[in-house]
Amino acid sequence: MGIFLKDINLKGKTALITGATKGLGRGAAQAIAEAGGDIIAIGRNQVELDTLGKIVKKFKVKYTSFNCDVNNYQKIKNFISNLRRLDVLVNNAGTNIPESFLNVKNSSLETLLNVNTKAVFNIAQLCANQIIKLKRKQGSIINISSIFGLVAGKKRSVYSMTKFSVEGLTKGMALDLAKYNIRVNSVCPNIVLTPRTKKYFADKNYNKYVKENTPINKVVTVSDVATSVVFLASEASSMITGTSLVIDGGWTAR
Amino acid sequence: MLKKINLKNKTALVTGAGKGLGKACAIALAEAGAKVIILSRTKSDLIKVNKIIKKTKGSSKSFVCDVTNFDDLKKVLRKINRLDILVNNAGNNRPQHFTKVSQENMEYLTNLNMKAAFNVAQLCSQKMVKSKKRKKIGGSIIHMSSQLGRVGCEGRNVYNMNKFGIEGLARGMACELAPYNIRVNTVCPTFVETPMVKKFFKNKKFKNKMLKNIPLGRAAKESDVATAVAFLAADTSEMITGTSLLVDGGWTAQ
Repeated sequence: MGIFLKDINLKGKTALITGATKGLGRGAAQAIAEAGGDIIAIGRNQVELDTLGKIVKKFKVKYTSFNCDVNNYQKIKNFISNLRRLDVLVNNAGTNIPESFLNVKNSSLETLLNVNTKAVFNIAQLCANQIIKLKRKQGSIINISSIFGLVAGKKRSVYSMTKFSVEGLTKGMALDLAKYNIRVNSVCPNIVLTPRTKKYFADKNYNKYVKENTPINKVVTVSDVATSVVFLASEASSMITGTSLVIDGGWTAR
Repeated sequence: MLKKINLKNKTALVTGAGKGLGKACAIALAEAGAKVIILSRTKSDLIKVNKIIKKTKGSSKSFVCDVTNFDDLKKVLRKINRLDILVNNAGNNRPQHFTKVSQENMEYLTNLNMKAAFNVAQLCSQKMVKSKKRKKIGGSIIHMSSQLGRVGCEGRNVYNMNKFGIEGLARGMACELAPYNIRVNTVCPTFVETPMVKKFFKNKKFKNKMLKNIPLGRAAKESDVATAVAFLAADTSEMITGTSLLVDGGWTAQ
């Protein structure tokens, strides 16, 4: 801690990360551990949860994992309401099924609403209640949103609907949780190269589309997003709440 | 995975660096390792800031300069060889009801908050794009905006007009400077405990009304804003451009 420059560190803090086995969730878990925070990882693949454990433990922080689908409300509720430490939530689990609006299947709509909106709400509510119950006196919740929470994209009508909803939820939560000194923000990355988006980038046209729409001539990395998540999780951002940190190389500035 | 705020080998220019947010930013950037060039109209203020930076083992150079004097500004900037970061901070406010705003105040505020901000940004950008390594090492321009660059507020109509202008300028600049890997963002603080705001807060009724509008229930500290500026200045935010980092305790989420 300097005179005016605050430290970005999470020593003594415990962070729960959903969708922690892959992509942004895994990156966030690793970055939080690097910043000294203990990790509670939720994911659906035990092997990957164990792998994450090995990575995280290198930073000498505590690691707990829970193999569970975020849509299994009862199981998640039991788990979260029994946690003894909780300061930070990285509400990350999410998915996408790109389809043009006219052809969106009812099953796709159901899946995206369940994972990206309902589970995000439920987990945020459970964690906020738990942080308050544990009398932590401060907390930080980061919802992983997207540029498609701010603008639309082709074949992203349902995804946009769910991510715009996360943006609204973020602001609403921020107001209701401010009196508990729990801050709530979202991060809105451009399309990040992750296991899920790898197949999109394999398409030449898609690659071109991303490139042409990103003024800064680079693809956003998992590390870019994870670093912003840690900034928002830490006390370095103690006056930042109810807003979105846009990590898009200028996509939405145009 | 986690990027750190590190400004070693970077040169940063801060305007309005004699007091308040500019001073805090200059010191924070120096604490992060940057060589800092500070501009202010008041020599005695610059001497004080230089001393603080020296104490933290930072490096700084100062120039007495009124940024609204274009010729003066050009002369000062000619003396600077290298520039990687600009904190375009100099600004002021003279609150008046819209129907009562004097021509003199409108001229003064617009000349300082917009015209000088544009000129400083343009002159510094011209310097930054000349560096051959720019594309590789990147650059970062941070405009000091305000929550009042996003929403209106009573008695703040000229300031609103000016800061909304800065928000627009930042986006335009971001699009045009992206090919040089120069990022352009704004920071939008709520009321910060600065000498300028302390003057406004002498009116207790006004103070209470404003604090009531901040969901987190407190004014921001200079370090909150300076840390956000350092985050945007450093490679921690290397894919963040054309956006605004709100440090407003939830003001604009309502």
